[in-house]
Amino acid sequence: MILEAKEASYFYKSQKDKLILDHINYGFACGKIYAILGPSGSGKTTFLSLLAGLDMPAEGEICYNGKAITTSGLAEHRRHHVSLVFQSYNLIDYLTPLENVKLGGKKSPDVLLNSVGIAKELWGRSVLQLSGGQQQRVAIARALASNATVLLADEPTGNLDEATAWDVIDLLKHIAHNV
Amino acid sequence: MNSIQRAWRSVIRKPIKSLLLLLVVVTISLFILCGMSSKNASVQTQDTTRQAVGAGLRLDINETNRSKRLTECTNKIGNGVEGSYGGIQQKKIESAYGTQWLITADNSFESLQIADIEKIAAISGIADYNVSTRVTPVNPVNFDRIEDPDNDQHNDFGGITLIGNRKMALDFNVLSGNVTIKNGRLVDVTDVDTCVISEQLAAKNALAVGDTLQFNAYQNPQIAAVYTATIVGVYQTKQGMSPLMAGDTFRSENVIFTDLRFPEKAEGSENDPCFQTAYFQVANVDKYDDIKTKVEALGLDWERYDLIDRNGNMSTMSSNFSDLEKISTLLIIITFAAGFVILSFIFAFWTKNRSHEIGILLSLGYRKLSILSQLFTEALIILLLAFAITFAVAPIAAQTAAHYLVAEQAEQTKTQQDIDADKVLGNQPAEQTVIGVNAEITDKMLLTCGVGMVALLGASVGVAGTTILRKKPRTILSELS
Repeated sequence: MILEAKEASYFYKSQKDKLILDHINYGFACGKIYAILGPSGSGKTTFLSLLAGLDMPAEGEICYNGKAITTSGLAEHRRHHVSLVFQSYNLIDYLTPLENVKLGGKKSPDVLLNSVGIAKELWGRSVLQLSGGQQQRVAIARALASNATVLLADEPTGNLDEATAWDVIDLLKHIAHNV
Repeated sequence: MNSIQRAWRSVIRKPIKSLLLLLVVVTISLFILCGMSSKNASVQTQDTTRQAVGAGLRLDINETNRSKRLTECTNKIGNGVEGSYGGIQQKKIESAYGTQWLITADNSFESLQIADIEKIAAISGIADYNVSTRVTPVNPVNFDRIEDPDNDQHNDFGGITLIGNRKMALDFNVLSGNVTIKNGRLVDVTDVDTCVISEQLAAKNALAVGDTLQFNAYQNPQIAAVYTATIVGVYQTKQGMSPLMAGDTFRSENVIFTDLRFPEKAEGSENDPCFQTAYFQVANVDKYDDIKTKVEALGLDWERYDLIDRNGNMSTMSSNFSDLEKISTLLIIITFAAGFVILSFIFAFWTKNRSHEIGILLSLGYRKLSILSQLFTEALIILLLAFAITFAVAPIAAQTAAHYLVAEQAEQTKTQQDIDADKVLGNQPAEQTVIGVNAEITDKMLLTCGVGMVALLGASVGVAGTTILRKKPRTILSELS
């Protein structure tokens, strides 16, 4: 297992009696696409945040390659082990698509932007001038810029129309099997 | 992409926030530099003013001791006996009212001792000295004095008065600023048989520098020897010099300044000078007290003399600028304190508005230190730009600020002088008008201001940054979503 939740529980400090996640045990293998399904408020984003090292479980641990991610530090885990794609793209508005991709890691931003289908003439524009689908593609390219082996996407198509959403899903499938 | 690259792009592509910070930093820097400059100017002006106004020691004859010596001399001569002793002559005069005794003192009795003067002048720390003769009435031979028919002539000798000086530049009338040279020059140490006359006397007699004047003793002008002095200068006065006695002889316009040894010749007592006062100019006013102690330690007959401080103007002038220095220091402290509060608020506002960006960077694995250093680098870039503007504007702003503060100070001083008017009797006070100061911006000030501003920005960024960076990345991102 590349990424594993071991007895991971989570609750808010102000509401200790209300468990968001209750002793989750699950492992994720390389080269596969996993989807976590559930109704609103069931803890999908919270679980993803724990896997991404954005927060720590109240109990239990998250392991990467068998080691607790707290061993090397959460920032280190986010930097080198996992990449994130959010529903709201989360691009930095004063940087161009090219520069946003550079933020993600050292891989060539040109190759990555090409691979996610962003035309070259858009590379130097403000990200705010891109459509939602284009912004999400840039966000995916940024996630691919690092050497992370796990790509975590939190409702990556939530803000997109149906056609664009399928494009993005196809892109993620392609990445999972080819990149 | 490192923090410097991100910072540069943020500064350039978010111009409104950058301009706001730039404006604030320029203002704070300017205030600090103006404060430093004014403080420096006040300190420098204090020093230069103290040196320029100068300080010295005045040596006069002690009047109590004079009376005591007079009694001793007459006792030595004896009661009811004619004779002389120690410069005192006792002479019997028979008149219609009976026998009277006339006691007169010659110059040797009245004069300061030149040997004592030279001992004091030889002390290290005395920059220069002057000796002034008493006001000496003499008869004008080849020129007319200024006459005033309405003046009381009861005690008038019918002459003019001479004041001899070793170095006229140190005469009290000149030091006070009342007497200034109009044409030619002042009498100096090496001059012999020279004089400086008033502009009124020069106009009345159509005299100019290079002409000669003749004088002799007023008691027997028909037979007394005539002495000639060359005019080397023409002086003007702001206010008439106070006459010692009634009559035109002592009118301000009829006062003629000569070299030190001329009055005794003109009054017919050559080699018997009467030195009334001596003034010793202190080289470094900061060492005034030390020098005075050295003078007092000389083995002179101090009962004979009065050693008088002449440093009042120095203290008055420097105290004015001492207040200015305090105001400037206060300005710097207040600016730093206010600057810290304002900048902390700006950065707090800044980081709060940028929590989205901070959350993204944290989610990408950037360390908090890296994000904080980006904020600090942005502030530094703006600071550099602000310094360029500040350094260009600062000299003008500092000069304006310093002049404003000096003008305020001078106004206060003038008000105080008006309040103090008529409280003190004495001679014409020295000029105390300060027209401005040289408020320059030095490299040291720029460096201090730069270091201070960097520290201020660092502290402000630190304070503001910790509020947002204490949060977990998930909290920041969930707040946004």
